[in-house]
Amino acid sequence: MKNYSETNRSKWHSNFQKRWASNGVRSLLIGSAVLALSSVPAHATGTVAGTDIENTAQATYTAPDGSIVEIPSNTVTIKVDELLDVNVVSNDPGDITTSPGATDQILTFQVTNTGNGQESFRLTADTAVGGDDFDPSLQQIVIDTDGNGVYDPGVDTIYVPGTNDPDLAPDESVTVFVITTIPDTPVDGERAEVSLIAEANTGTGAPGTSFDGEGQGGGDAVVGSTGADDDDSGFLAISQAEVTLVKTATVVDPFGGDRAVPGSVITYNLVATISGSGTLSNVVISDPIPASTTYVPSSITLETAALTDASDADEGEFDGTAISVEVGDVPAGETRTVTFEVTIQ
Amino acid sequence: MINYFPKAIAIMALSCAVSPAFASSALELSSDVYVESIKTQADGSSKAVLNKPTTVLPGDKLVFVVKYTNTSAAPASNLLVTNPLPAPVIYNGSADGKEEVSVDGGKNWGPLNTLFVEKTDGTNRPALMSDVTHVRWTIKDTLAAGSSGKLIFRGIVR
Repeated sequence: MKNYSETNRSKWHSNFQKRWASNGVRSLLIGSAVLALSSVPAHATGTVAGTDIENTAQATYTAPDGSIVEIPSNTVTIKVDELLDVNVVSNDPGDITTSPGATDQILTFQVTNTGNGQESFRLTADTAVGGDDFDPSLQQIVIDTDGNGVYDPGVDTIYVPGTNDPDLAPDESVTVFVITTIPDTPVDGERAEVSLIAEANTGTGAPGTSFDGEGQGGGDAVVGSTGADDDDSGFLAISQAEVTLVKTATVVDPFGGDRAVPGSVITYNLVATISGSGTLSNVVISDPIPASTTYVPSSITLETAALTDASDADEGEFDGTAISVEVGDVPAGETRTVTFEVTIQ
Repeated sequence: MINYFPKAIAIMALSCAVSPAFASSALELSSDVYVESIKTQADGSSKAVLNKPTTVLPGDKLVFVVKYTNTSAAPASNLLVTNPLPAPVIYNGSADGKEEVSVDGGKNWGPLNTLFVEKTDGTNRPALMSDVTHVRWTIKDTLAAGSSGKLIFRGIVR
């Protein structure tokens, strides 16, 4: 009996040794996998929720009989819990200019899952933020379904809370449009603040709040430093730029005086002043040549710089009956001065 | 060691404990992992508390303790204890500073400040804690029968 067990044991022992050896090989393979991973940029949000951290130490030593023995330790397994975190940021570079009564005014936001597990987020828009000048009314929140960052009516999906809450992988982002209507009442220069709020559906609360067993992969879900909710604001600003044009004339007669007689040269001075806020686009200053006068060729100037009469690269043109100057985009508060000359027939 | 035996074999092994061949391999290695949390005490001071966790979060500080015990009646020499670092853990130094580390899956070993990592452009940069894949200790002294020791290192959950 003893012999039997001895034989059996030593056979088992050599199997065990082999198994240890193969464990050793496997751990080396795991090691090289780690190396491959480490060449990829580290995951910003950390280890994915539900991952098991398994730790096993190994030892080799020389026994008194000279044989080299390799043994493993026990394996400790710890699961990585889900961290609930979210980031909301306005994608608009500044105020979105709008006007009273305008519809389909779009503010753009980006919602990012900064936690380490797959998580869906409930979205709400607040158009009645305090401290601003007026409150737009919410038309709808739209998810940028095609991911191009631009609102495409009919393509992007209208958001319905609880139905199509964006479900984001760790580090994944989605663009969200908040579409509003501007009331008729606000005046030039007034601003409205609109915020978008995203909350993790698993739960929100003080950092460290735990939702037992509700994490991805079977662990707990724990509220991270953001409180598992976040918001950011975009701004709508009423811009009503207006242009006023003032025309003056200076007469020089052939005798050095200022009488309007045949042969006198009239210099017209046109000053366009942009008031209000914002920028007026594609401003064109034009003026027909008065009857009984003849246009003085190449006499158009813009901000004292001479322009040609041809319809070409420069801003000025004389088409035979009127001069016109394309001054382009002019910000509020600036002026543009155009002059031209005619001769009295 | 007995932990690894199927029950029936464990009983058998006990009956054979007198066998010198068996006694020569009786070194036990155990691994424990603790998570460190800072508790604020009543007097306002902070105290680090170690707990054995079942779950952790990214950023948690871990303490790994590897214990070795020579449970046999014979000495064990040339003891080398290796701990491959779990992939989700960043190495964060050892208690005694006598370890060697590897940043290439266990091929090359040395103190961290002697190791390099090849960048994508083919040049090398000094290795960082976050590059460490394995940590090991060479125990110079022969481990007498019944004696034991422990190795401690830290890690951070990625």
